Amino acid sequence: MYPAIIDAYLAPTSVAEALGALGENPGATIFAGGQSVMQAIKARLVEPTCIVDLNGIAELKGVSVAAGGVTIGPMTRYADLNQETKLHGAYQAICDAATTVADRQVRNRGTIGGSICWNYLAACMPPTVLAMDAQLELTKAGGGTRTVAARDFFTGALDTARDDGELLTKISLAPPAAHAGSAYQKWSTQADGLPIIGVAVYLETDGGGSCISARMAFGGILPVTRRSPAGEKGLVGMKAGDKDGIGAALQAAADDIDPQGDRWVEGGYRKVLIKDLGRQVVTTAFKRAR
Amino acid sequence: MNKTLNIKLNGIAYQESVPIRMLLVDFIRDRAGLTGTHIGCTYEGRCGACTVRVNGDAIKSCLMLAVQAEGCEVTTVEGLATGGKPHPLQEAFNERHALQCGFCTPGILMNAAEFLEKNPNPSEQEIRHSLIGNLCRCTGYVHIVEAISDASERMR
Amino acid sequence: MADRPFHDVPLAHAPQSHWVGKNFPRKEDGRLTAGKGRYLADLHMPGMGHLVFVRSSHAHARLTRVDTKAAAGMPGVLAVITGDQLKDEINGFPLPVVVPALPANYPKFWPLAVGKVRFHGEPVAAVVALDPYQAEDAALAVEIDYDPLPVVLDAEQALKPGAPLLHEDWDDNLMFEMTFTGGQTVEEQNRNDEEVEALFQQADIIIQESFKVHRCGVSPMETRGTLAIWDDSDGLTAHITTQRPHIDRLALADVLDIPAQQVRVIAPRDQGGGFGAKAPFYREPNLVCHMARKLGRPVRWVETREEHLMAVSQERDQTNYLELAATKDGKMLAIRNRGIGDAGDGCEGVYWGYLMPFLGAALLPNAYDLPKCDIKLKVAVTNKSATSPARSFGAFPTRFAMDRAVDMLAHKLGKDPADVRRQNLVAELPYTACTGVHYDSGDFPMTWDNLIREVDLPAFRKRQEDLRKEGRYIGIGFGVGAELSGVASEVLVPMENQPGYGAATVRIDPRGKVLLFEGDAPQGQGHETSLAQVAAHEFGIHPNDVVVTTGDTGVTPFGSGTIGARAGSYTASAVSEACRFLKKKMGRIMTHDLELEAGEDDFDFQDGEIIYSKDNNIRKSFMEMSNRIIMAPLNLPEGEEAGLEHTAFFEADKPMITFSSHAAMVEVDIATGQFEFTNYVTSEDTGTVINPLIVEGQVQGGVVQGISNALYEEFVYDENGQQLTTDYENYQVATAADVPPVRVTHAGVPCPHTPMGTRGLGEGLPGPVPAALSNAISDALLPFGIEITELPLRANRIWAAIQAATQQAAE
Repeated sequence: MYPAIIDAYLAPTSVAEALGALGENPGATIFAGGQSVMQAIKARLVEPTCIVDLNGIAELKGVSVAAGGVTIGPMTRYADLNQETKLHGAYQAICDAATTVADRQVRNRGTIGGSICWNYLAACMPPTVLAMDAQLELTKAGGGTRTVAARDFFTGALDTARDDGELLTKISLAPPAAHAGSAYQKWSTQADGLPIIGVAVYLETDGGGSCISARMAFGGILPVTRRSPAGEKGLVGMKAGDKDGIGAALQAAADDIDPQGDRWVEGGYRKVLIKDLGRQVVTTAFKRAR
Repeated sequence: MNKTLNIKLNGIAYQESVPIRMLLVDFIRDRAGLTGTHIGCTYEGRCGACTVRVNGDAIKSCLMLAVQAEGCEVTTVEGLATGGKPHPLQEAFNERHALQCGFCTPGILMNAAEFLEKNPNPSEQEIRHSLIGNLCRCTGYVHIVEAISDASERMR
Repeated sequence: MADRPFHDVPLAHAPQSHWVGKNFPRKEDGRLTAGKGRYLADLHMPGMGHLVFVRSSHAHARLTRVDTKAAAGMPGVLAVITGDQLKDEINGFPLPVVVPALPANYPKFWPLAVGKVRFHGEPVAAVVALDPYQAEDAALAVEIDYDPLPVVLDAEQALKPGAPLLHEDWDDNLMFEMTFTGGQTVEEQNRNDEEVEALFQQADIIIQESFKVHRCGVSPMETRGTLAIWDDSDGLTAHITTQRPHIDRLALADVLDIPAQQVRVIAPRDQGGGFGAKAPFYREPNLVCHMARKLGRPVRWVETREEHLMAVSQERDQTNYLELAATKDGKMLAIRNRGIGDAGDGCEGVYWGYLMPFLGAALLPNAYDLPKCDIKLKVAVTNKSATSPARSFGAFPTRFAMDRAVDMLAHKLGKDPADVRRQNLVAELPYTACTGVHYDSGDFPMTWDNLIREVDLPAFRKRQEDLRKEGRYIGIGFGVGAELSGVASEVLVPMENQPGYGAATVRIDPRGKVLLFEGDAPQGQGHETSLAQVAAHEFGIHPNDVVVTTGDTGVTPFGSGTIGARAGSYTASAVSEACRFLKKKMGRIMTHDLELEAGEDDFDFQDGEIIYSKDNNIRKSFMEMSNRIIMAPLNLPEGEEAGLEHTAFFEADKPMITFSSHAAMVEVDIATGQFEFTNYVTSEDTGTVINPLIVEGQVQGGVVQGISNALYEEFVYDENGQQLTTDYENYQVATAADVPPVRVTHAGVPCPHTPMGTRGLGEGLPGPVPAALSNAISDALLPFGIEITELPLRANRIWAAIQAATQQAAE
């Protein structure tokens, strides 16, 4: 119910200050929106001695578009992302995901960066940024940065490529192609509940509406979110109206992913969801790619 | 360890030494004595009974440490009525019988107050969707949705 | 006049009431919407200690070591206590006051585990500290060694020979068994069984199915709690989140060996829901009170949601093997049922985990005319928390079974389930069900016909047919409930050793204001308003001039609690009777004062005045007469006393019921099994309605609880007895976005046995819901021949059923 004793709480106002704090306090727990980490702290699954709270760092917030692409500050809240028109079309899946996380109170605090770094099995953002092929900039105390592709970032349950002492400082998306669209949907027993399956699809089409490349990522699967090469290959050459071809691609993805069964939902049903959600997401992605 | 917290609750400034681990909801209830904000779940922060507004945003005060609200303006249900006049939501909830036991009500009022400011003309579906973070066991939600809709008309 | 039984008194001949039947906005709401409620967790006392429980991490194990040394030395800790210490300090259970007058095995237990633990979450030790955070720190420092024992988690498994034994002084895990069929003697019962068998032999159609309902309940938004204050002079004052303060008081006195007159239980003025979860006499309050006495300082325990989901609110969890015999014309002849209930560890005062399946079995025949039945019930103990009451009290699974069987019968006959249902509804009341339950009044067919009109069944069937041609599947499903309207002493004394009467004290003060005291403690039902409306109606004053005090044993008359929809039926009736007694007294004194030719009933109480009905010019203000009788009691009539205060006890002649009928409409996506309930409509007979908005709220709330239970909520234990659903992320409760709007309609008759014709409503409302929902889905999927026989309703299960049916059809 209550956290264990916490010795220190730091609220830096700049990335430099935050990195300094992390350097001085190895093993500190980082707070983004806190909607997940506070659950763990209250359940005493995590017992921080020092907290470094990023909520006061303006430079980590906001979405900007430049020649080099789209940059999303990791501390950008869901509530600000879900209406973000700069992401519309190519990267609108991120808006979709940001609209349906939990509830509006959570969306007022939760952040895209927090979700990515926490990497909970059923979270919406990890499969979404995976399908967007985001580049994740990690900066460590002392200032060194490295960039990890999303496909290398999500390493396991509640585990990512980020080391302790590193901060996620930037989420970068490639400049959108001329005809690119994406979408995300999830299914759970309750409205906007933790998904049993989440599906994110990004695709690019040629001038005539044929898919020339696709990325398809899934959430809610063990051991960790991943893409389906078979599904992606199956979409290439398809048009929005190719029901059978799209269906086959999604079947290939479902077989490829071969989702787990558990006491709640059998693997076979997860496959049904992959196909059903996938169909809706692919349709929307095609529409947005026009 | 303790830290000094400077915070405004319903317009009144507090300066208190608080344990860093103290939850914002416990500061509000136990230190400030504002017991209108309620606790309905454990660590999961799912029920929404603790919803308050921090710098205007409706958030779950059980998922924040008090020290995180340093320098913030917090409004609780006790601060919803202004100048002795009930908020249109409070009036509508009474008229529409949108509460029975009242335990979830403060959280819903604070959430709905922000929601209506951002969505002045919501549909029934939008209202229902906005209430996902607030569990109620008594009313079945029908009267709550009607009251929020009524209040939105009054507020326009 | 004064001793005429109340069921013979016609409705008060007062003129048009301002207050009964009015949507009077609740008096409670001003404070509750302003955050000025006063719930248990809002109560503080100087020097108060905070109590935290240490709960078992095993489902079944011997306790080989409970070491509190480290915990006791931690900052802020005032005391730590274990079961071994406690058993020598207080009396254990069972205690007569909380044991029903029914034959069953009653387990021995203490508020803290002694020797072994029997469910994941059983309290093992408790810490009292100056601050709840510190209490939790110390609780985590209590060291416990367990020697695990095999677990049993299924009632039928528990009844098999060789199953792990929970209570080692028992022969087996059978807690209770009962036959609900003709006769008290074995001979009579055997004869009845034969008669039922004969009916089955003659029947044209037999429906035979097992209906399984999962473990779920209605956890209220406010968890439990106790604030105990010990004073060497006054004794114990315990603020408890309880539906039954008067029962708790007696039980605490017995457990703690305190003279009853020195125990006062106060249910907080505001409680955040109960729904049965706050009705039992639980372990925890005993310990909190004991520690307050031991430490000589107030002690408060506020339950966490995790504790709540581990320890209470778990109900339903029944399997009913039901057989239904009928003619080919659809007339039901008899039912035969073997019910299995799961009591959890059964260690729970008043209900012991088995009274719910008991009542559920008694209510199985529902509103149907079934002259004969053979209903047998067994309830077993298992390594789960004791099953505790949840709204609908045992009947949620049996309503599901019965009303699904009715639809299955209709499908077999090729008839509309609505027609088969109507055909079999009890048409003549009063009626005694084959299980002995008495239905006093109502008009079931009329209430039902109203429902059919409201949903426009013929139009729905047409639309259903048209949509099927498009490959879309919609369905409509029905459920009914003949629900208890209050619980008569005739039922409650044997069942719970407690009386069923409603009681109320009405005190008029010299200013013509009214103070009303009732012993039952509400948790949101609006008693402060509805009972004020009753008094206002009777006295012709304004509800704001009536103040209602509830749930304080020190000042209220005995009440058995807010259970079984008592308020509208029994308590409101007691208020009415007490008011009428006083009105007659005022009438007699006014007659004497004004030398009128009048009887005590010749006065109308209206708009703050008492008016002689034979001459409207002769009138006195209510306030003036109150003042005269209390403050200036000179020249009173012969034999008349001063004062205007009366306590009335209302008991109906025979147990009463309230009839409710429900319809749910659904669309099912056959590709995914996903479904959406688009509409839910009820038709209710609630008799005379005091406050229509409150009644509507009760129905909507009860229906949504039923929907939440049937679709989302489920307590899950793994193979080792670890409970996996101890938070609101895993134990899913319906949100506003998950449920359809519920439309409430009325078609009823006043109850002839209550002074105002009111019926109690609230308890039974979730009962018809699971059948309405699953009948709708089965109706939608009728082309696939799918009949739902198990809850919860989940998309993946429906998808699997459609797959199986499609495969079967292909073969």
